[in-house]
Amino acid sequence: MSELTTGKFSMAISDLENVQITINNIVGAIEKEADEIDVEMGPTVKPGVSSLRDWDHNILDRYNPVYTPMCDQCCYCTFGPCDLSGNKEGACGINLEGHNAREFMLRVITGAAAHSGHGRHLLHHLIGLYGKDHPLDVGATNIIAPNVQLVTGVSPKTLGDLDSVLSYVEEQITQLLAAVHVGQEGAAIDFESKALHGGMIDHVGMEISDIAQISCLDFPKSDEEAPLADIGMGCLDSSKPTLIVIGHNVAAVTDIIDYMEDKGLNDKIELGGLCCTALDMTRYKTGDRTLPRAKVVGTLAKELKTIRSGIPDVIIVDEQCIRADVLKEASKLMIPVITTNDKVMYGLKDRSNDSIEDILEDLTTGKEKGALMFDYEKLGELAPRLTMMMSEIRKQKGIKRLPTDEELKELADSCVHCLKCEVACPNSLPISEAMTALSEGDLSNFELLHDKCIACGRCEYACPKDIDIVNVIEKSSQRVISEEVGKVRVGRGPISDPEIREEGVNLVLGTTPGIVALVGCSNYPDGTKDLFTIADEMLRRSYIVVVSGCSAMDLGMYKGEDGMTLYEKYPSRFKSGGLLNTGSCVSNAHITGAVIKVASIFAQKNISGNYEEIADYTLNRVGAVGVAWGAYSQKAASIGTGCSRLGIPVILGPHGSKYRRALIAKPYEEEKWKVYDARNGSEMQIPAAPDYLLTTAETVEEMMPMLAKSCIRPSDNNMGRMIKLTHYIELSQKYLGIMPEDWHKFVRTETDLPLAKREKLLKILEKEHGWEIDWKRKKILSGPAMKSDVSAQPTNLKRLCKEA
Amino acid sequence: MADEYPFEISPMFEGERIRKDGMHVELSGPKSKGYELVRATPMDEIEDGKFTLIGPDLSEMEEGSRHPFAMIYKIAGELVEEDLESIVERRNHDFQNYIQGLMHLNQRYDVWIRVSKDAVAKGLTSFEPIAQAVMMLFKNELPFIEKVEAVYITDLAEIEKEMDNVKAIYKSRDDRTRDLHDEDVDTFYGCTLCQSFAPSNVCVITPDRISLCGAINWFDGRAAAKVDPEGPQFAIPKGDTIDTVAGEYSGVNDLAKSLSSGEYDRINLHSFFDYPHTSCGCFEVVGFYIPEVDGIGWVDRDYAGVAPNGLPFSTMAGQTGGGKQVVGFLGIGINYFRSPKFIQSDGGWDRVVWMPKHLKDRVLADIPADIAEKVATEEDAADLDSLKNFLTEKDHPIVQRWEVEAEEEPEAEEEVQETPAFAAPPMMQGMPMQGMPMMMPASSDTGGIKIILKNAKVSIEKVIIQKKE
Repeated sequence: MSELTTGKFSMAISDLENVQITINNIVGAIEKEADEIDVEMGPTVKPGVSSLRDWDHNILDRYNPVYTPMCDQCCYCTFGPCDLSGNKEGACGINLEGHNAREFMLRVITGAAAHSGHGRHLLHHLIGLYGKDHPLDVGATNIIAPNVQLVTGVSPKTLGDLDSVLSYVEEQITQLLAAVHVGQEGAAIDFESKALHGGMIDHVGMEISDIAQISCLDFPKSDEEAPLADIGMGCLDSSKPTLIVIGHNVAAVTDIIDYMEDKGLNDKIELGGLCCTALDMTRYKTGDRTLPRAKVVGTLAKELKTIRSGIPDVIIVDEQCIRADVLKEASKLMIPVITTNDKVMYGLKDRSNDSIEDILEDLTTGKEKGALMFDYEKLGELAPRLTMMMSEIRKQKGIKRLPTDEELKELADSCVHCLKCEVACPNSLPISEAMTALSEGDLSNFELLHDKCIACGRCEYACPKDIDIVNVIEKSSQRVISEEVGKVRVGRGPISDPEIREEGVNLVLGTTPGIVALVGCSNYPDGTKDLFTIADEMLRRSYIVVVSGCSAMDLGMYKGEDGMTLYEKYPSRFKSGGLLNTGSCVSNAHITGAVIKVASIFAQKNISGNYEEIADYTLNRVGAVGVAWGAYSQKAASIGTGCSRLGIPVILGPHGSKYRRALIAKPYEEEKWKVYDARNGSEMQIPAAPDYLLTTAETVEEMMPMLAKSCIRPSDNNMGRMIKLTHYIELSQKYLGIMPEDWHKFVRTETDLPLAKREKLLKILEKEHGWEIDWKRKKILSGPAMKSDVSAQPTNLKRLCKEA
Repeated sequence: MADEYPFEISPMFEGERIRKDGMHVELSGPKSKGYELVRATPMDEIEDGKFTLIGPDLSEMEEGSRHPFAMIYKIAGELVEEDLESIVERRNHDFQNYIQGLMHLNQRYDVWIRVSKDAVAKGLTSFEPIAQAVMMLFKNELPFIEKVEAVYITDLAEIEKEMDNVKAIYKSRDDRTRDLHDEDVDTFYGCTLCQSFAPSNVCVITPDRISLCGAINWFDGRAAAKVDPEGPQFAIPKGDTIDTVAGEYSGVNDLAKSLSSGEYDRINLHSFFDYPHTSCGCFEVVGFYIPEVDGIGWVDRDYAGVAPNGLPFSTMAGQTGGGKQVVGFLGIGINYFRSPKFIQSDGGWDRVVWMPKHLKDRVLADIPADIAEKVATEEDAADLDSLKNFLTEKDHPIVQRWEVEAEEEPEAEEEVQETPAFAAPPMMQGMPMQGMPMMMPASSDTGGIKIILKNAKVSIEKVIIQKKE
């Protein structure tokens, strides 16, 4: 029975007529999928830890790991702690380079595990509700799951198909985690390869999570006109009973929304969310472009402030990026906390099998501070009812939240300006100065700090006078907070094939200079406004800006001079000057997915199990760059590392150096900037861009020209190169006040030169670089290090060359 | 030199919108008059870089006022010819938009320009630097322009005086474009611009066939090839005409052979079935053969639904592309519908049976009148049955083909029916005996078990396959 497949089919065997046989699962037949007739498979179907090692070593040869150890000890085992400084080896023989590579890899797989663990939970839940045969539908596309298909060769059609892919992901993470153990890998470069593997796997895990929920929960499906949702602490109507959800996994919340809708409670209860659950709550049931059922309060940076405001009457948490002290903080203000996921339980009693009435009794009387609830149907009823009851109770008790005006003054006066808070602050915010101003009745300093403060609370522990500094900032900023009302585009999911085909003209002609993805968390060095500045600048320059997760939220918090957020100003289509929100943290997979689709659609490349070739295509042709300006989490490390392996460079904000590892190339090493021309296998010189795959920028000003330069690729045609070079030079002049020193290295012919400055630049090339110019025809006669040939086929892979 | 102008010049200002409250003056536009015109002029009649203004200058215009406005650029050069005028003229739009504080909309006698208050505040007091900047950009981008001179007019009487002549020029250009056909030229143009993304695609651009992306027509190709003969757009000597109807030329075939490294050696420019043109990735419309009615349907990127064959644009578009010659699917640019040679080798419009309504409306004027109402849209036919009915009802020319075929090849049709597909259960029910040998070959390795079941449902929770140890 070699023809056996899962699913339903009818057939005639001998006298057999109209017989339907359903087979749910075929164990041991996984490899068979790859043999499906007519499906072309690349060389690496479901790659193991070492399968793509050659590619990794290939890119690591140009993009060298650079380590910035925060600590030169290793404390992994009881031999230690081992001092690894001064090229010493530890008791197990590992050196500082290897240990740092291992640490980085551990960060990556921790992030990947968070996403795929989320995906596993969600998939179990959704298969339980909708069945394994529930079809996947993410909008107009031939490639439902580009990352899944690229890595595993599987083209999933149903929820059940995702199940086996996720098992592969889990196996890989286990294998990678095993290598962290003492006495395993010794070479830094192979830890790096493993980190890259973990990053790639992460995008598969994220994709599974998001396409499963898009397909089941009536999320927008590649919708360019997804509605706008309210965002900001100021958008909560605190006069209503308020239910706040924190985390990333929307599974538990859907039942709450359904219950509220059934009982007509939508107008009676404020439902708000923090972190990605909030984004996914707004996606729930908005596939038909109806208004979202929930509001977005903000990112992790708003968690403590939201709790301290006392506005929530009940808090539900699920998983990831939830402060560990939610229960402690909430309890102080009589806010019951319900945990709903085995990743976060806070020591609370499991009430899944108890009656709702009993739980309500225990929580409203304060007998219990919270509850653990795995039964989401029960939760759906419990949470809204509890919220209504707690609102009354908390009002009657007159819960004291933030300090009064008088107390605020006293707190400021009690500050002894020892500056310990500023030392403790991750962003070294000028708190002491603000305290002085506050003593004199001036709130403005603290109002400015509010946007920059990530509300971590470290200052409070540092304060010798026990001032609740977060409360001081929040109380002082009440005016600003009340005005914190923005708009965020509800996550649209993937980029559709027709959109990519249409924009293809501009990407090919070069009139769209590149794709900038603003992703990652909210640990910004200087507040949310930076994101706005970056996005606005690049959108005006006709780049396509794609956002997700925390960055998607924070971009909606800021308004331009015209009083509009960028979401209201720019179209949300994948086109020149378009601003797209793919959705939550797991929706990052759609950004890499779009890049994979570009290769599939334009080059008709087989993408099934063909990772290396597609990564090579991306690195040499697709001008895309990621920015994780506020990256803090392990997930951000894994997302970025997945981009690295696929050939997409990523810039991190200054805090990103604390990941302790970057991938940086040396533009002056000329032999590293050679690739093959696939037409005949000859070597060709390429420009030194992108000159990193993962790096950090200290300031927005420093980063702006990097963005333009990072979109330059060997295969640019002249118009494309001219436009990219124009932006590179302009951004450098605008933000740094100088011509970039390497601009001439990207010039192959006179037509690569920015149009408006052509004559002036030709003069500089002649005078400063000794290039020969034919002034009559305004042509470059000699000078450029490389030729312009739009038909050249740059590749890092010898095997792809003809006549090689 | 860019630094000498009282404004910045950059592609980043292209999307700049100047609204009413930010506007210093409005020029031409729907509530006034004006035009833009580029004229090829003999060398000795041009003083390079000269600017003439007829009428009041910017400094003499009141804030918030509206004025008529015309721009004439005279260009000269060894390679300059009338056929290039419209290409150069279109760049005026782009270049004026590169200027910060200037918004240029529309073209020809519909031009609509606004100058912002900010630009004036920064020192823009005259039209001269604008004209100078545009002339500089013309010469930088299009080096075949050796001399250029600009005349701007803000005087209504002057503009009105010339209006009829100007309109006549536009009309004669349009006539030339419409009346210029493949047989009238000896050179086609090839475009490899998209090879940076689609490694093996080559577009052949002729007067009757626009590029697949819709962005480059024969005149564009001609201009670009003049600017840089070694660039991505290049001349293709037509060579011998092998087949006028199919559009087969020896020059095109030679090119196809060399650029595809021998993979193809024939391209019929106006055929859907025999050696069709290759497809890239960004074609605007994909055509698909519908065997059930022996006709061709077309679906464009903006159509979100499914065609009568049950497939959406994205799926069918995925069948072709990457510079491959795929029979049964063909990517084209929308303007190709307007070509009189539109798939003429396969019957042209007589072969077209379906297209989305908005696409049909867009090209309606170019569909032959007698066939227009016979082409179904999603409102007429959502599936193959309703499509067949619609075509029969409207007596679409394709119906005659069915009759001819039915007469000619009755036997072939029967043969087709005798080969049931695996995934066609309803047919299997009718012919269990025929289906059986296919499912269970006589030399089956499954052994001699014989199970007889009728109308049964078998549910298997799990099947375990183990390799032999």
